[in-house]
Amino acid sequence: MTDFFYNHLHVYLFVALFLLVSGILGLLYRRTLIGMLVSMELIMNGAGLNLVALNRFVSPENATGMAFTLIIMGIAAAEAAIALGIIILIFRKYGHIQGGDLTEMKD
Amino acid sequence: MSFGDLVFICIIGVTMAGALTAVLAGSIVYALMGLVVTMFGIAGLYVYLNSPFLAMMQILIYVGAVTVLIAFAVMLVGPLYKSPKEWTTLGKFGAAAGVAVVSLVMFVKFVMEIFPRGKAPAFTITTKQVGELFFRDLVLPFELISLLIVVAILGAVMLALFARGKR
Repeated sequence: MTDFFYNHLHVYLFVALFLLVSGILGLLYRRTLIGMLVSMELIMNGAGLNLVALNRFVSPENATGMAFTLIIMGIAAAEAAIALGIIILIFRKYGHIQGGDLTEMKD
Repeated sequence: MSFGDLVFICIIGVTMAGALTAVLAGSIVYALMGLVVTMFGIAGLYVYLNSPFLAMMQILIYVGAVTVLIAFAVMLVGPLYKSPKEWTTLGKFGAAAGVAVVSLVMFVKFVMEIFPRGKAPAFTITTKQVGELFFRDLVLPFELISLLIVVAILGAVMLALFARGKR
């Protein structure tokens, strides 16, 4: 029984952690709203990968983590639809989609 | 090192490169392509985690639906080549990178200390069992997801109609 590299939990957890960190980085410094949405999708994918990996290695007798990841996928699709509708609305109203310049609700 | 290990390392490299492209690219279209590459990489990781159904769903939903939706939004929000590059000022990038590195260090400690290491247990969950779980124990969340998607579609349509009426 050889010890394969892909049979370790920590490898998957570190990939998911990398996705989370790069998502945080993009969410904080992106200029446009669509860039922020792309980073958001990265974070949600990291969460899904985490859940499936923990389901595979920690509790292999049921499939709850996989079901949860499927639910996350549905929520992400709905979230992307609503967010893009709002982004297009903002573009029609202001003529740009730069997150730093939307200051109407500040004052 | 076996062939499976080699493919696995390639998949991890592709995923990480896609994520870095999605975050650091100057054009939003390149960032979108990076997101697609990341989705395919994660689907490969799902295959290695013994859940091919999730890999298929990942490709169908993310690559097939969400990315196409974002691509349409990119096309609709006007000429992006006229707008400035995605990179903001160096100070903002430095602050964001600082936050990212701090969270990375914190979570590395968390991951290394909490989760168990050792032999991987046998895993025999099939797609059939996932379906049985959905239709026996998780019926209410399953129906709520469909309700959520219907409400999201109606909301998007209402947003579009509202904007047209206002003009």
